Amino acid sequence: MTPGQGIYRRRASLVALLAALTLASAIWSLGVGAVKVPVDVIVNTLLNLDGDQQRYIILKSRLPRVVLALLAGGALALSGAIIQAVIRNPLASPGIIGINSGAALFAVLLVSLLPDLPPAWMPVTACLGGLSAAGIVMLVAHFRTLSPAHLALIGVAVGLVFEAGVDYLLVTSSDAERSAPLIWLTGSLWGRNWDHVSVSVAPLMIFAALALVLTYRLDLLSLGDASATGLGIRVPLLRLALLAVATVLASVSVAVVGVMGFIGLMAPHIARRLVGGSHRWLLPTSALTGMLLVSLADGLGRAIAPPLEVSAGILAALLGAPFFVYIMLTTASEQDG
Amino acid sequence: MSIVLSGVSAGYGRNPAVINNIDLTIREGEITVFIGPNGCGKSTLLKTMARLLKPRSGRINVDGLDVLSSSPKAVARTLAFLPQEPLVPTGISVEQMVGYGRAPHQSLLGFRSARDVELIDQAIATVGIEHLRDRPVAELSGGQRQSAFFAMVLAQDTPYAILDEPTNHLDITHQIDVLEQIRRLNSDHKKTTLVVLHDLNLAARYADRLVLFNNGAVFADGTPEQVLTPANIADVFAVDSRILAEPMGGKPLCVPYPRSVSETER
Repeated sequence: MTPGQGIYRRRASLVALLAALTLASAIWSLGVGAVKVPVDVIVNTLLNLDGDQQRYIILKSRLPRVVLALLAGGALALSGAIIQAVIRNPLASPGIIGINSGAALFAVLLVSLLPDLPPAWMPVTACLGGLSAAGIVMLVAHFRTLSPAHLALIGVAVGLVFEAGVDYLLVTSSDAERSAPLIWLTGSLWGRNWDHVSVSVAPLMIFAALALVLTYRLDLLSLGDASATGLGIRVPLLRLALLAVATVLASVSVAVVGVMGFIGLMAPHIARRLVGGSHRWLLPTSALTGMLLVSLADGLGRAIAPPLEVSAGILAALLGAPFFVYIMLTTASEQDG
Repeated sequence: MSIVLSGVSAGYGRNPAVINNIDLTIREGEITVFIGPNGCGKSTLLKTMARLLKPRSGRINVDGLDVLSSSPKAVARTLAFLPQEPLVPTGISVEQMVGYGRAPHQSLLGFRSARDVELIDQAIATVGIEHLRDRPVAELSGGQRQSAFFAMVLAQDTPYAILDEPTNHLDITHQIDVLEQIRRLNSDHKKTTLVVLHDLNLAARYADRLVLFNNGAVFADGTPEQVLTPANIADVFAVDSRILAEPMGGKPLCVPYPRSVSETER
């Protein structure tokens, strides 16, 4: 066996392990909360077997949350991995092209200006906000061919403007009806139902598939614009396509689960340490890592102090950050040599 | 067949053109070396040929293929380009990176054919980096990295290659190593090679043809003996010089002096 095959096997088993952990955490998370449901009842309910079932709690209340956690976690992580490759900066995440702040501003605006609109409009509005912030960044990038560093700086600037808008609206508002977007801003799955799943599943699946199709192009882009051009890549076009894919993935996720900025930053880094820099491995592994983190955080948020809930976004950051730092410290020498 | 540049002018932004109306033919089977002072336009011309910079006017034709209007993939199957400072991807092995050289011959997803695998193995063997095959490129020394990038260019399997200052930042061991590899690519693989070099003496030793640039135009063009003359060196680099014959092969060897020193000696 050549060493090459050994690396391949190690990666494949890591991905399998990650997938198993994600499934386990999803099933565990179905059982926790104000009403505890044992695992056998969960399995009976899901597979419609004989014996005890908890159809209402599992199928109506918790399953859509868990499905959303998996969808959004995977999409945010994919988006982060793509943006880190395009911007060529390890600190980049979907937030760096203004998606989070754009989505946040539109959501807060909606609540302030049109408080009577049904809450189902929130995801749509947030998605539009994310797309418009990223759209401004990409428009600028399109008219002048920009270096990745310029792109990041413009993204940060656009993000700051949108953020200032959010702060202004929150500070100047006097009543409690603004609390709804506040919870959403911390990234929570509270009150999510099948409607949220049905609006987000199609775009997320389609754009995740597009991301996976472009993995080899991401590898070529990592050689730099000059080498990639020499290998026959239309670099500006590819960059625009990748940013568009990343924007839709992140905006739709932010729209349904709120701002979870940390997932898009952290999941790709953890994945990179596990399977290396080839995007064919990196993207699926990032997605699995993001799914695991969000479903774990959502479950824990319900398990800590029922019937109260802690936002998944807060817990994901609390849980992930120490692990993230640990991983960076233990493997730092490998990359910097 | 050859690379034909006709009336190529190029520049950056709204600034005046850096290269003006260049007509040049890179002949098949030769090692052509571009030399010239900093800012003379040789890198700008290379960038234009590599499609990194759109020319303001003129045409570039490689093997009958119009570089500016043909599909980038078709051009990349004919002409390989190694930039001055290629980015070193993190977490990628030498073998994976050499494989990227096959991209212009592959579909969007980049799955390897038997031919791809064969050419990748061949490229790694030719450059002599079998022992580095599974090492991450980011962990290699400067010379080893350059070899890995060379193997990538070789795997691209193009009749033409453009190399922008491939000896930059290398010690003399690796400079000679890189230039010997270029010579082997040229003689064994019949690759028509265009190189930019800073070292005039190394350029003279390895070039079939030297092209000396100055102020965005070709100043002198010919064999090393024809181009490396005290008069040309004085006009372009503003230094005096003696031209000796290099002891092993008899190629011209330029020993530069500051203008004043050389004048007092006379």
